[in-house]
Amino acid sequence: MYGGGNVFEATKFDTLQNEDPAKLAEFEARIARGEKIEPTDWMPELYRKQLIRMIEQHAHSEIIGALPEGTWITRAPGFRRKMAQMAKVQDEVGHAQLLYSAAETLGKSREQMLTDLINGKSKYSNVFNYPAFTWADSNIISWLIDAGAIVNQLANAKGSYGPYCRALDRICAEEAFHLKYGHDAVVHMATGSPKQREMIQAALNRWWTPIMHFFGPPDKMSTHTEILMRWKVKMASNDDMRQQFLDMYVPKIWELGLTVPDPNLKKNPETGKWDYTEPDWEEFKRVINGDGPCNAERLAVRRTAEERGAWVRRALLHPKAKYVKPLA
Amino acid sequence: MNEQAIKDLLYKLADDQLILGHRNSEWTGFGPILEEDIAFSSMAQDKIGHSLAFYTLLQEFGEADPDTVAFTRNANQFHSSQLVELPNGEYDFSLIRHFLYDNAEFIRFEMLAQSSYEPIAKVATKLKGEVKYHVLHANTWIKNLGSSTEEAILRLQSSLNEALPYALGMFEKSKYEQELIDTGVYAGEEAVKAEWLKRIQAVIEKTELKLPDLESTAPKYGGRYGDHTEHLQPLLDEMAEVFKIDPTAEW
Amino acid sequence: MLKSLDPRVTRLNLPEGALPPAEPKPVLDQFETYETFHQKKEGAAYTYVGPVHAPNEEVAFLFSKEQYSRRAACSGMWVARTSHIMVTPYVGDDENVYDVIRLEEPTERSEQPEPYEIFHLKKRGKAHTHAGRVVATSYQEALQEAKRQFGDKGPIVNVWVVKSKHVLQSAEEDKDMWLTVPEKKYREATAYKVMDKITKYKEEQKSTAP
Ligand SMILES: [Fe+2]
Ligand SMILES: [Fe+2]
Ligand SMILES: [Fe+2]
Repeated sequence: MYGGGNVFEATKFDTLQNEDPAKLAEFEARIARGEKIEPTDWMPELYRKQLIRMIEQHAHSEIIGALPEGTWITRAPGFRRKMAQMAKVQDEVGHAQLLYSAAETLGKSREQMLTDLINGKSKYSNVFNYPAFTWADSNIISWLIDAGAIVNQLANAKGSYGPYCRALDRICAEEAFHLKYGHDAVVHMATGSPKQREMIQAALNRWWTPIMHFFGPPDKMSTHTEILMRWKVKMASNDDMRQQFLDMYVPKIWELGLTVPDPNLKKNPETGKWDYTEPDWEEFKRVINGDGPCNAERLAVRRTAEERGAWVRRALLHPKAKYVKPLA
Repeated sequence: MNEQAIKDLLYKLADDQLILGHRNSEWTGFGPILEEDIAFSSMAQDKIGHSLAFYTLLQEFGEADPDTVAFTRNANQFHSSQLVELPNGEYDFSLIRHFLYDNAEFIRFEMLAQSSYEPIAKVATKLKGEVKYHVLHANTWIKNLGSSTEEAILRLQSSLNEALPYALGMFEKSKYEQELIDTGVYAGEEAVKAEWLKRIQAVIEKTELKLPDLESTAPKYGGRYGDHTEHLQPLLDEMAEVFKIDPTAEW
Repeated sequence: MLKSLDPRVTRLNLPEGALPPAEPKPVLDQFETYETFHQKKEGAAYTYVGPVHAPNEEVAFLFSKEQYSRRAACSGMWVARTSHIMVTPYVGDDENVYDVIRLEEPTERSEQPEPYEIFHLKKRGKAHTHAGRVVATSYQEALQEAKRQFGDKGPIVNVWVVKSKHVLQSAEEDKDMWLTVPEKKYREATAYKVMDKITKYKEEQKSTAP
């Protein structure tokens, strides 16, 4: 799962000046025709760099995103939830695998990406630095964070890079299960006992700010992304995705009699857009730069998994193996 | 056919799978390689699914529904072997346990597919293919790692030494052993164990691991009769933490 | 020790506070990659689904099975090491790669002809599918053979060629490993239907509203 809010490198246009103009024109024409770019095609360095960065962040978000819901994997109530929770978290690990592979086709090894993650060099989606205090938090994540991720992933699936699109096609198919599962669990809580209702409302209150953060800062605050849009790397603006999410899910929240902790949230009949209180973007920056409630634990867990699993990899590595990128 | 005997058999099958499935699910997100993380989670899900299938058969005998049975009993009411409740340890221990357990499981399923008690035969026939993959997975890993580096071999060997007494405990006989055999419901633990030894030895022989001397290894019995290590009750408490907030609620 | 909200994390016995900097890694700490092809149903063409990292092809098969066929129906799976697959250049969506590339002279020939598997990509962004098998003494000859046998069917933007002996194919008798996949409804969206509950809730709200 992944939102917007990805940190693109400021686009330096001078890097394009070193590119072969004929090749660049051909590349841009291909994208304009709606054809996908495949790994061995010529591509501008900037395209490669930004794609690696974006897909890598997306992959990290999946593997780290497995942890908040993983918090409840051993405590899911009843067989139905127990099995589904396991499958849902497993899928997120699977998404990471698919996305790391897609990024690898661009020339950065999985191992390097994981090292950069562990050392705090690469980012992942901010929301996963928040704790899942109760089972209800896990349900809110499954439903609404995944819903947000779907908005983003469906947009990105129409992007220009073939391997990323292929991965996203598989991912989106699985997300349909996550969304339904999360919704099902939330509905059971919201229409259940008073205690369950209280739990789910409290969780929604806790998660509202991270959900609003999920799509990234307002467009007016984001770095210049015009060229990334033309190259179909970035497919939708942060604000558009946030609006789309609110449009689809606020009514579904309200119909359960749940409330959203933002008195200003309403659809403006004149603009047709949702009005809301801007979430605290200073907090967003703080958390993305490492100072959230769970950043340290998330990275420590990932690092421990890597370190404690190292003997398995050491045991079976071929000393003469050369690095070969996956094909597609 | 003796209902008590069949119920006892179903409980031990279901409880083993539930507890091991639960343990193995703890690895999700922590595995040594992403792909292995995914494979191990699938097998954990299968195991929980198998336990559900057997608890559902129990319900037909008038036992409570699967959720109640799984989420509200205490440790002394569980018929699982002690092997499955042990903490995961590092990956070598989890892998060795998986190898020892699933090889036995596959033999059980093969035998139960021939059971004179049709509902069990049906379930076993249907689910056998899943366990076949589990065994392929386990044996492939043991063969690969068991003949790799000194470090890996040492780890696996010490896990094998540690797990073996508990693994032998899987074959603790039930009160109804002879009856189950005589009525053709189940071939019995002796038969499973004999076949199991053959199969795990065949794998171990292809590696640099050594099966500890069985004569001098005392099996850890008791699990089948509700006698468990200190690890099971906390596992159950954790598993039921949310369920018990309101056992009558729909979650 | 770190006490986490996640009891699993607590059991990892991690130290509280910041960890010391990570040890530098050995030169290569990841396995080679293998490419996976999946058959949806009996008779359907094997289709590319994606790569896995694995130390050898048997382990690659174990991994691919769960990563690429734990959900959809499956009747067979192939895996091949990435470095064993020869790849042609990619051409545009309306072109045929066989017409565009110059078929090269083989650099290496086997003494006996041997089978090769041919995969075609029909459109960029889609997946390679199995076009068929040819017999040849080199990759280049296999490609020529492929052009002759299946090269004239519409746009083909890219071709993969791999020796059959380098493809691990799932065995006929192992198909039962996929038997129950379609029954695992708990991981399908269709298993979750809550409209009834929502409608009932709304009605109750209406009837209790002042
Ligand atoms: Fe995901
Ligand atoms: Fe998801
Ligand atoms: Fe099993």
